[in-house]
Amino acid sequence: MKNFTHLLCIPLLFLVVNGYSQSNTPDEASEQHSERTSFLGNTKALITGSAWFGVAYNKKEDVKLNFNSYGFTPVFIWKLSDKMFLESELEIADGNIELEYAKLSYSINKYMTIGAGRMLTPFGAYGERWEPAFVERFPNSPLIPDDQYLPDDTHLYYGAIMGIDISGDVPLGGSRLNYNLFISNGPSLARSEETGELLGGVVQYENLDDNNTNKGIGGRIGFYPFANSSLEVGISGNTGKPGDEKAEDGTDSPYKDITANALAFDLNYVKAIPSISSIISVKGQFSSVTVDKANYTLSDSTLYTYDNSLKSFFAQLSFRPATVNSTFLKNIELLYRYNVLTPPEEAVWGGKPITRNDFGLCYWLSWRTGLRFAYETTTQESSETKNEFLARFVMGF
Amino acid sequence: MKKITITIITLFLAIMTLPLINGCATTQAIADKSGAQLWGENCLRCHNTPSPADYSDDQWEAVGMHMRVRVHSLSPDEINKIVAFLQTGN
Repeated sequence: MKNFTHLLCIPLLFLVVNGYSQSNTPDEASEQHSERTSFLGNTKALITGSAWFGVAYNKKEDVKLNFNSYGFTPVFIWKLSDKMFLESELEIADGNIELEYAKLSYSINKYMTIGAGRMLTPFGAYGERWEPAFVERFPNSPLIPDDQYLPDDTHLYYGAIMGIDISGDVPLGGSRLNYNLFISNGPSLARSEETGELLGGVVQYENLDDNNTNKGIGGRIGFYPFANSSLEVGISGNTGKPGDEKAEDGTDSPYKDITANALAFDLNYVKAIPSISSIISVKGQFSSVTVDKANYTLSDSTLYTYDNSLKSFFAQLSFRPATVNSTFLKNIELLYRYNVLTPPEEAVWGGKPITRNDFGLCYWLSWRTGLRFAYETTTQESSETKNEFLARFVMGF
Repeated sequence: MKKITITIITLFLAIMTLPLINGCATTQAIADKSGAQLWGENCLRCHNTPSPADYSDDQWEAVGMHMRVRVHSLSPDEINKIVAFLQTGN
């Protein structure tokens, strides 16, 4: 309840600040501009973000039509000066309220910015860039290791870390490179919320408090080979020790030396093609998490081990005739996405690879507001194919 | 897993050599890009391009800083050009 009260204070604070700044006349603002010149400079704030509402239809479910998702994610961005910047997002979705991130940044020079706080994980491109509801063209996310498929979300693919990062952009002639390196609270071995017992090697990356002195280290390097920035390829890595240092009886934990290594590759190609009056986009990401072998305890107290490697991949193609004359056609975007999730087959929580094909259509009402529709077929060996129709109305503000 | 990793790393390295094959544009050519050109090339990579009228001049400055910190792929000079373009069109 206390946390909830604190969370409510943040939007109220920004509303007061924003309201105050917007209620001033230009003359008043001009006068205050000169008065407020300090080492912080003239602060500039904005509330942006998105809200959405979704529905799913599956004719084989008991409840065939289900209004199943909603959310409101205000993002507070605040430029304190040319060097200092604060950004934070409050995520209110599907009955939960959470401070998704709160990052304080200081620009050291034009090639390097240092950031601190709770920040979106710079692993792959999806979590930092393509996940916001007004950016994501489909009514849902790619097939990733989340609560729908695994006992706990790893929070590596999109989520937030607690730590410090440095990031920047380096020109390389006609090409360019961008980087982000971070140190954060490391991963931990996830535990059941009900029993507190280990979930047999599931790794959790979103840790407000660390469970050991080892810290997670990682980052991403992105490369733009072409001068027009149409193509970016990225490589990300993340390593850390997820085990507790001590067991419950005070002895060394059997998991204290195991390491979790994560790797991701991402690609983004976006190009306007005048000859067909259209914009095409190809996006994709491959991600993997590998945890050293360890013995885990089954419910009957026997020990077992397995190759703990989790992989996921998605590739997405979209086509939008954005510059044709027809107002209706130019607002339509056609989409296809291929997804694969490969959990460790021998894990208690694992299984056979899951494949999902998503056929989508997005109709844009403005640059950040639109209707998303998708027909998705999910297949897994020895399981029945699941076919589902999804729709979502997203409003960006 | 090993095969996939090797394939992707090979692909990554191959893409990195593309500028050598195609020939790099001069740094000056990039430095001379206008704010409108940078706006058209970069915003679209993740989301649709916004209209200058969507935010006030001060808000565009905050948005510019937000994108610089989030995407890490534009220099302060380039961000300033895009912001100036959006403010001019506002």
